[in-house]
Amino acid sequence: MASLAEGQIGVPIVCENKPGASGALAFSYVARRSADGYTIGHAPVEIAIVRSLGYADIGPSDVSLICLVSKTAPALVVQADSPWQSFQEFIEAAREGAGRIVMANSGIGSIWHFNILLMEQGTGARFTHLPYGGSTPALVSVIGGHADAAVAGVGEVVSHVKAGKLRALAVFDETRSGVLSEVPTTHEMGFPIGAPAWSGFFGPGGMAEQRVTLLAKAFKTAFGTSEWAKLCRERGMEALFLDKDEFGAFAMDQQRFFESEIPKLVRLESSE
Amino acid sequence: MIGEILAGLAAVLDWHVLGFLAAGVSLGAVFGSLPGLTATMGVAVLTPLTFWVSAEQGLAMLLGIYCGAIPAGGIPAILINVPGTPASIATSWDGYPLTRKGQAGLALGINALASAAGQLTSILFLAFLAFPIARFALQFGPAEYFGLALLGISLMAGVSGRHVLKGMLAGSLGLALALVGLDPMTAYPRYTFGMSEFLDGISFVPVMIGLFGLGEVLVQISDRHASRAVSSGVIGRIMPKAAEARTMLGATLSGATVGTMVGAIPAAGGDIGSVIAWEQARRTSSDKDKFGKGSLRGLATSCAACNAAIGGAMTTMLTLGIPGDAVSAILIGALLIHGIQPGPLLFANNQSFVFSIVFLLVFASLLIMAIGILGAKPLARILNIPPPWLWMGIVLFGTVGSYALNNAVVDVWAMYVAGIGGFLFRKASVPLGPLVLGLILGPMMESNLRRALILTRGDWLDLLSRPILLVFVAATILSLLWPLIRARRRAAKRNHRLSSDA
Repeated sequence: MASLAEGQIGVPIVCENKPGASGALAFSYVARRSADGYTIGHAPVEIAIVRSLGYADIGPSDVSLICLVSKTAPALVVQADSPWQSFQEFIEAAREGAGRIVMANSGIGSIWHFNILLMEQGTGARFTHLPYGGSTPALVSVIGGHADAAVAGVGEVVSHVKAGKLRALAVFDETRSGVLSEVPTTHEMGFPIGAPAWSGFFGPGGMAEQRVTLLAKAFKTAFGTSEWAKLCRERGMEALFLDKDEFGAFAMDQQRFFESEIPKLVRLESSE
Repeated sequence: MIGEILAGLAAVLDWHVLGFLAAGVSLGAVFGSLPGLTATMGVAVLTPLTFWVSAEQGLAMLLGIYCGAIPAGGIPAILINVPGTPASIATSWDGYPLTRKGQAGLALGINALASAAGQLTSILFLAFLAFPIARFALQFGPAEYFGLALLGISLMAGVSGRHVLKGMLAGSLGLALALVGLDPMTAYPRYTFGMSEFLDGISFVPVMIGLFGLGEVLVQISDRHASRAVSSGVIGRIMPKAAEARTMLGATLSGATVGTMVGAIPAAGGDIGSVIAWEQARRTSSDKDKFGKGSLRGLATSCAACNAAIGGAMTTMLTLGIPGDAVSAILIGALLIHGIQPGPLLFANNQSFVFSIVFLLVFASLLIMAIGILGAKPLARILNIPPPWLWMGIVLFGTVGSYALNNAVVDVWAMYVAGIGGFLFRKASVPLGPLVLGLILGPMMESNLRRALILTRGDWLDLLSRPILLVFVAATILSLLWPLIRARRRAAKRNHRLSSDA
């Protein structure tokens, strides 16, 4: 995105990775910079989550949101030669098995882990949770037959599904995914569950209106290019543009959702 | 098959591709030999540059960096006792003593030759046994990872040299430091003192730079007038003699095999592989007392193992589409951008491309071997640099490299604290190897044991139904009891002699 937007604003965009604490370190770092628009950050879904997890006291209302550029739906996968052919069969087995099905996740408190808890809450299924440090090892453990199933982003599972190593049973979304169009969605099967990952940009709180608009315009132009469309297709992301007001409303909505759901989900898990 | 092999060869026998490969190898050599700059960093930084060239050219560049950086990491390990990358920690154990004996040239020569031999062996494994190795790697579930880590931890005594008790203490410290951060199973913060910087734990690379880089500098400064100062300035010959080569052959091949297997297992790489190979070679060697004091076999096996891990990691990446280590994770991303999906389908549909990769790896290892041998003399001149300049350089690169890793100041502090720790430990003859093992293997052992117990519902006996784990447990027990058995056998022999004399 940076290399696509660069041409629009006439200054180079230098990307700096600041990993740590689900992105909380990077959010806090950007929020502390001067609000001149020269330091902005990438705002993934975690910006609406980290406060509920207690990693950092920061949320969408503390920063200047610029725009949202993509969304990634979660997908439920099992090993290609597992007995479960459909989401319904899988859920049925998980209800009866009372935790006998082992569900790998990409880390406690990660967005994909929440989706597993939402699935338990919404369908009455119960799993044994097997936490890994990221989606890749979680998916590898399903491919290797060590765990029965996993939930990860559509873009993360699609290559293994296409290679015949994993079978996708459901995409947690309202509409079907572009790269896994043959896989049914939870909503169409009568389970309105799912919390997508998303990706946008933000600056320190109190950025001047016109600077936000300028940056949003540059990102919007970059968003419209065929390169971005191609990248989204390859990574299994849904290209979706929300301007700062829409993004602001969406992000606050997400934060309220996680604030109300996380305590419930944590209780659900500890009661298992 | 032959057609695909030739097509794969033809695709890389192109001046542009070979040019990119050479550029990659040279850049990799720079990244690898500077402490603080790692192979992962080099590949990550240069990946975007490869989007504008063809898949073969881009891949040549990235594989070149990878293959160049690992052997080059052995160069500072040998010359100044500062490993250039985590994989070359074991290289410093025998490499640096050789330098102090005035055999720096020979150590560099062995590094170049054994590295290439290790990598070429692992490429043979990749070319002929890719799918069996990949199946082996997939067998690794939580219980098997725990077994691997357990075996690694049991090597602490072996890598402690004469100071076993101090080594155990250092190892415990390493394990304790590995506890810092979010609990891997419950995500509850441990020992973070309320600082979110510690949530992801203590980064390993800055600690390594501090312990080995800054720590070594401080020791050399304090020993300035003592005999410990490095610069004898003698480089000596580079190529090993035929007799020496013969003694190293077995160790090189066993190192290469261990390195390939460990490298193929996702998330275990050359750092663990070379330590296991070194300890295995020491145990089975007739001159085990020389290990850690400049043994040619020890040097050869660790160099071979850390480079063989490249072929192992590539095997897992190409056959399963699963990254075997951090570098191959980035490589997968780069291949995807070029529209190439690593995995079983690649072997089925695009064999010639797989062979292109095999040939690129072969050329890269030959190239880095040539650079290593031809460059040994000029590189060893580093020893003639006045020590204060060298020290400043190490501290400078260590600081920059620690920051560059995660763009986090906390890593720089970790480097300095580890440096002071490394200095004190060396002064007190506390071996650092066990500490590093604890830090690398602690998280792997803990999280996988807990995962394995989730899978068996807390039943410890159930764990023992996994054959690979049983092999690891048996090897661990044997490795712990072996010194006792040996001592008893010796005592028995002595008694026998005494009684027959009488």
